[in-house]
Amino acid sequence: MVRFENVGMRYGLGPEVLRDISFSLEKGSFHLLTGPSGAGKTSLLKLMYLAERPSRGAISMFGRDIANTPREDLPALRRRIGVVFQDFRLLEHLSVFENVSLPRRVMGEYENNYRAEVEELLQWVGLGNRLNAKPATLSGGEKQRVAIARAVVAKPELLLADEPTGNVDPEIGARIIRLFIELNRLGTCVLIATHDQRILERLPATSIFRLAEGRLTSASQKDHLIQEAKRA
Amino acid sequence: MNPKAPTGLMPADSASGATLHTIVAVMSFLACLALGGVLTLSRMASQWTDGLSSSATVQLLPSSQISPEDQVKEALSVVTQWPGIMSAKALSRGEANALLEPWLGKGNVLDDLPAPQLIEVTLKPGQPVELAGLSQKLADTVPGAQLDDHTRWNAELAGFAASSAAIGWSMLLLIALATLAIIVFATQAGLRTHREIVEVVHMIGARDVFIAKEFQGHFLWLGIRGGIIGLFIAIVTLFGSSLFWDSRETPVAGQYLPQLMGSPFHYLWLIFVPVIMGLIAMVTARYTVLRVLGRMQ
Repeated sequence: MVRFENVGMRYGLGPEVLRDISFSLEKGSFHLLTGPSGAGKTSLLKLMYLAERPSRGAISMFGRDIANTPREDLPALRRRIGVVFQDFRLLEHLSVFENVSLPRRVMGEYENNYRAEVEELLQWVGLGNRLNAKPATLSGGEKQRVAIARAVVAKPELLLADEPTGNVDPEIGARIIRLFIELNRLGTCVLIATHDQRILERLPATSIFRLAEGRLTSASQKDHLIQEAKRA
Repeated sequence: MNPKAPTGLMPADSASGATLHTIVAVMSFLACLALGGVLTLSRMASQWTDGLSSSATVQLLPSSQISPEDQVKEALSVVTQWPGIMSAKALSRGEANALLEPWLGKGNVLDDLPAPQLIEVTLKPGQPVELAGLSQKLADTVPGAQLDDHTRWNAELAGFAASSAAIGWSMLLLIALATLAIIVFATQAGLRTHREIVEVVHMIGARDVFIAKEFQGHFLWLGIRGGIIGLFIAIVTLFGSSLFWDSRETPVAGQYLPQLMGSPFHYLWLIFVPVIMGLIAMVTARYTVLRVLGRMQ
């Protein structure tokens, strides 16, 4: 589903923030991405959700070589990817319901088709009573849940989440983790970039990647990472 | 929650601010005036040239070889027997005075001026008349008689009408170009202001056309709203101008200067101005968005 081969990336003429990244993700797999701040996790996710192009190397997404994919074909690929941004990136003038239903609207669906699903999803993440609220009136945790609901509402084949439980209380965090597991069981490939030791302990990760100074290393032991996260 | 129309992806108060509405309204106002001017000039020129080409005038200058009464009688005889002439009528002194009144004021001014006697000749519509031959015949048989077939006036009026219409259409073109430039600027500013929204929507999988639709819908209504405001002000101005000149007891202005709007039918043409403003805004915004997004990742 996703394949990186010797990928390097730099912003403009700056130094490489990612170096020789190689890995692959299979359909229905579950992955964690850890590493210290500034290691390049967000940059790696940007490459995966097609916001950036690599400076070198080859990326294949859903069987398409990204380097040779014309710009007009990218939206169709992006619709197969759900993204939870670290800074949420909600549209401030839209309500919670409208933010969450945005991917369905972008796909050209009518509200009648997705209203019930979106409301049910918002109930699930504990925002059933905030459908008409604007993001400015939400707490950090509520915003994060809206961002997660938006990422999963179109049942993506690949879900990328950047610190998805960073601002929520343990109960909601556990719900979100269950939601990710449920999606994964339904066939979605999930990759979560996190420092959260709850996720490291609870999630059935197929593989755990560790980024350090722009280089990717497969984690040797899950327990080792948990200890590392505890120390951090 | 009741179903309702989805909120636009671009905040409503962004690209459709009062300033932009005002600019579009002013452009629409100017376009209405220019269009009104073009239509009125075309109509007036057409009326003038139609009137002039369907008539001719015989001037009878005082002559020592013939008495004024015989001069009129002879001239009427020649003219009325000429093929293609529908009627000929010698103007009375009172009628001639009335013609000169706008320029020379009331009074029997002809008593003090050596003005020629005039014969108004009406031609049969749709029938060619050999006016050069008639002119020669009059000159040969009636001393002091001259035929004015209005050719010179016709040519001058046609030239005036054509050049005025060209200026009017040029103004309309310039207004359209200025509106286009303003919309390009406003669309680019809107894209810059809402770059983050555009990026998020892109990342979610929106095609450029989807984003362009959001902008073009926004600008279509902006153009129509601004256009309607400009149209309303223009109609008030034109209607007020007509009323003003009608109420003035100035014969020259009232009778001979073209009123800006002469026919209610012309108001119907002005309805197209807001529609065209909206279409210009919509197409320009769409093209601009697609061009800018095409340069993005």
